[in-house]
Amino acid sequence: MINSTLYKSKHRLWLNILFASFAIENETIKSSLYDFAMIEFRHMKWLGQALRDADTAYNYDRDKMMLYKHDSNFELLRFVLDEIKNTQALYDTSVLGGRMTTDEHYFTHHITSLLNNSDNDARISAFDMHRSLPNKILDSKQTDALTIFLFEESYKEYELILVYAYMQNYTKDRLHFDIFQDLIDESHFHLKSFGNMMAKMGILGLPRELHEMTYKITDIKKFVKDGIAEEEAAKEMCRQLAADINDEELSPFFDFINYQENYHIALMEKLL
Amino acid sequence: MEQALENEELNQEIIEHLMHPKNYGKLDEPSGVGVGHDEKTGEYVVFYIQTEDENIQEVSYATNGCQDTVVLGSMFTEMIKGDSIENGKNAVEKMDKRLSGMTVQQQVCAEMVLTSFIASLINRENRLKGKSEEMHVIKMKESCEVEEVETKEKENNDK
Repeated sequence: MINSTLYKSKHRLWLNILFASFAIENETIKSSLYDFAMIEFRHMKWLGQALRDADTAYNYDRDKMMLYKHDSNFELLRFVLDEIKNTQALYDTSVLGGRMTTDEHYFTHHITSLLNNSDNDARISAFDMHRSLPNKILDSKQTDALTIFLFEESYKEYELILVYAYMQNYTKDRLHFDIFQDLIDESHFHLKSFGNMMAKMGILGLPRELHEMTYKITDIKKFVKDGIAEEEAAKEMCRQLAADINDEELSPFFDFINYQENYHIALMEKLL
Repeated sequence: MEQALENEELNQEIIEHLMHPKNYGKLDEPSGVGVGHDEKTGEYVVFYIQTEDENIQEVSYATNGCQDTVVLGSMFTEMIKGDSIENGKNAVEKMDKRLSGMTVQQQVCAEMVLTSFIASLINRENRLKGKSEEMHVIKMKESCEVEEVETKEKENNDK
């Protein structure tokens, strides 16, 4: 049955698969899990639309989540497999229910085949707090600046994805709908970049839960103006971090993110 | 709590709070709900308490604020959870006296956490008096923008 409980489970499942993709180093497994997570996000979007059409409220509340500190690929993959199976038990026989069932039938088949090959197992260092990057020498000040940046911005990108998705679902304005989609797509890329970097540093944690005061927006103009101010602040953080780190690979990356924010601001201004 | 934040370098304890904030989220049946709200930036802390007699049985918080607010909320809720309301109030006073050791931004963040706790106690009192108040909101006097302004002023003075 499509209801807010299913939505909540789907939100949890999307996050669990997404963060499992960040945690696992093997690029092939990482890539397939990321693709699965993005499909789960689309399921979540379609569920939101179905709930809106049925005039049923939903929210971004989460029960206690336990991605925290899995030690091996297999331990994490088994956990993801269980999470998928638990969510599948909630599907109905609607077209959307059927789509979600067949998608996840393939996901479970793929993950099971990964588990059948012991070469796919490896230790996970994404949660061990070692706080260093491969082949990089950063001093403690640079490491702290990067750590804080990654926590701030990974939460912010998660927040933006969910806030824009919520607003997109309830807007009747086509232009706004398209702008929200662009902003969501951009934030997915940023979250992926920051999440993978956090895992490399051993500081991967789930973003904290959103309170409804954050996404139930009553004054869109104020929301957009505050959002533009936050984008400006994020640009400055990126610029400062690129300068502080002064690394031939990392600095251009943070400049690249900084320059992307310019277009986000232009998109947001169109909402005013 | 303040010692962990006075140290300029991030230590393991703070990283732990960043990765996995303690007591984060909502309480299902709170005795009091309080909000500290910064109108300028839109940042807030929501604080939930569940009490039995004069003791704080459960506590939780949520925020859209910065990582300093997350860490301070996580540490403060751990400090007062399971303690008496009186000791919770004393913890606020002790914290207030020691805020000078923190950066301006950390002080503002800490104030927002403490204010939201006080607001939750006011909401609890109001509920006990029979008032129908979903949550008690206190607007912050100081804003997180303070540090940015002060930093810019300092930079201008240095020129």
